[in-house]
Amino acid sequence: MSFNKYLPHVLVLPEDDANLRLANEFHLQINQLRQMQLLPVAEGWVNVLDLFENVHVREMERDPLRFMILLIDFDGAANRLQLAKARIPQALMDRVFVLGVWSEPERLRAAEGSYKDIGFGMAEDCRRGTNETWGKPLLQHNAGELARLRQHLVPTILFPPP
Amino acid sequence: MEAVSWGTVPSPVFPVPVSSQGGGNSSHLRIPCIISFVIRRLYVHNFRCLENFELPISGRSSTLLIGKNGSGKTTISLALQILRKIGQDTSRVGELVKPKDLTHKSVPMRFEIEVELEGKIYEYTIAFEYPEGFKELRVFEEKFTVDGAPVYTRNVAQVHLLRTGQEADFLIDWHSVALPIVHLRPTDDPLFLFKLWLGRMLILRPIPSLILGDSDQDTLQPNTQVTNFGAWFQGLLTDSPSAYSKIDEYLKQVMPDLKNIKNPTVGKESRSLVVEFSNVQGSVTLPFADLSDGEKCFMICAVVLAANSAFSQLVCFWDEPDNFLALDEVGHFVMALRQAFQSGGQFIATSHNPEAIRRFSDENTIVLYRKSHLEPTTARPLNELQVNGDLVGALIRGDVEP
Repeated sequence: MSFNKYLPHVLVLPEDDANLRLANEFHLQINQLRQMQLLPVAEGWVNVLDLFENVHVREMERDPLRFMILLIDFDGAANRLQLAKARIPQALMDRVFVLGVWSEPERLRAAEGSYKDIGFGMAEDCRRGTNETWGKPLLQHNAGELARLRQHLVPTILFPPP
Repeated sequence: MEAVSWGTVPSPVFPVPVSSQGGGNSSHLRIPCIISFVIRRLYVHNFRCLENFELPISGRSSTLLIGKNGSGKTTISLALQILRKIGQDTSRVGELVKPKDLTHKSVPMRFEIEVELEGKIYEYTIAFEYPEGFKELRVFEEKFTVDGAPVYTRNVAQVHLLRTGQEADFLIDWHSVALPIVHLRPTDDPLFLFKLWLGRMLILRPIPSLILGDSDQDTLQPNTQVTNFGAWFQGLLTDSPSAYSKIDEYLKQVMPDLKNIKNPTVGKESRSLVVEFSNVQGSVTLPFADLSDGEKCFMICAVVLAANSAFSQLVCFWDEPDNFLALDEVGHFVMALRQAFQSGGQFIATSHNPEAIRRFSDENTIVLYRKSHLEPTTARPLNELQVNGDLVGALIRGDVEP
């Protein structure tokens, strides 16, 4: 078996290659590698939502231990989070997180350094409860979703206590 | 100057422990904890498709080499294999390189490697030439330095040895490499440490169907096809018994019904690995040879992780680690290796598998490219190339070229 379906696990559905590479570097830092699975890129934020709705909603309804992170570009659109949330069934709302760069990962990399450093910083923030990387201008809009993620995913999947 | 007759091999300058001679069984060699031993530079010239070739892996704990078939990925591992063989005490030039390996017959073939150990820089250079009328190559130049200071230099047969308070000149057979011969004090000598590290480089291209799990000795040096897996497993546990917990930890994540691995004696001096699985329904014990190809790769991965943890700072070159794995395993397999080598050592992989390729970033992916069989390999980090859209899509379209 690949990731452990019999423990809480999270699937990450990235919009594109850049988001996947950022997610990779985050993944590399977590304690339970096999409780996170990165999915193939969806090729666009609309496709992320379509795929989520058409494929993953049913699977999540069948599997109460499954969480999902939808990794999309916000492209500077203030209503993107609301548009995404509107596609998430109320019953799954606590188990789905919509995260992403305010513009796109390439600009975040240009502003903050390599994906490796950014992914490491994001994971370290989750591990230590800090906000150094997540507080950067292109990431700070994630604060609400990040707070939920810290509550639900950090202690169970990402950085469970030893 | 110490006079040595032509064509003879001088005795070691300093005593060498018997256990360090010969590459077969090195499980009793105790190396002081190696920290931060990583390749800073690998330069190869005039070896097959590698001409004036430098692999840009400095500062990267993990690196992926991608490129079309014939672009030179495996040739890089062959170059490392030559250096590893030197580290494993192969000194005969004919056992290391052949005239057919030369790209240009009239130009020396050159290998240079620069590594770091606890902040010290170790540089080793070996060059071979193929003079007219010779049947095999001979050593043209050899040099070993620590932090820029030569420990020894060599020009054809003439070796000049330098150490604090000690200096010597002697001649050596020009068909023999000096590094395996010029032993100095074990344990704390930089040359000894370097050679031991070089010999422990893991260069893996496993063929699971040939891996049976039988052994009649133990070793810390798996061969490239890992057909001596049983000996490697035993050698690691003999040297570092605590490595079993690391092996067990990884394998139980991948195969939750694994109970244990045993390596019982089956003859006077032979062992054969068996693997026991159990769950609420009962248990079953399988000979290692009966595991699937993918499961054998999990076993190899577990021992790589344990070896890196035990010795710190291994270099592992794995040619297509995704071979034989189920699609949903590839990402986890690669990430487990990348994660383990973050804390020390270097993991270098080659791959054509989309799932494996996607598990590296463009900052640690190197694109190898070769225009034709008449031209040499070039290497460029992916982040220096313009790739439009998804990398795997661009690779399928053939649009990833330096």
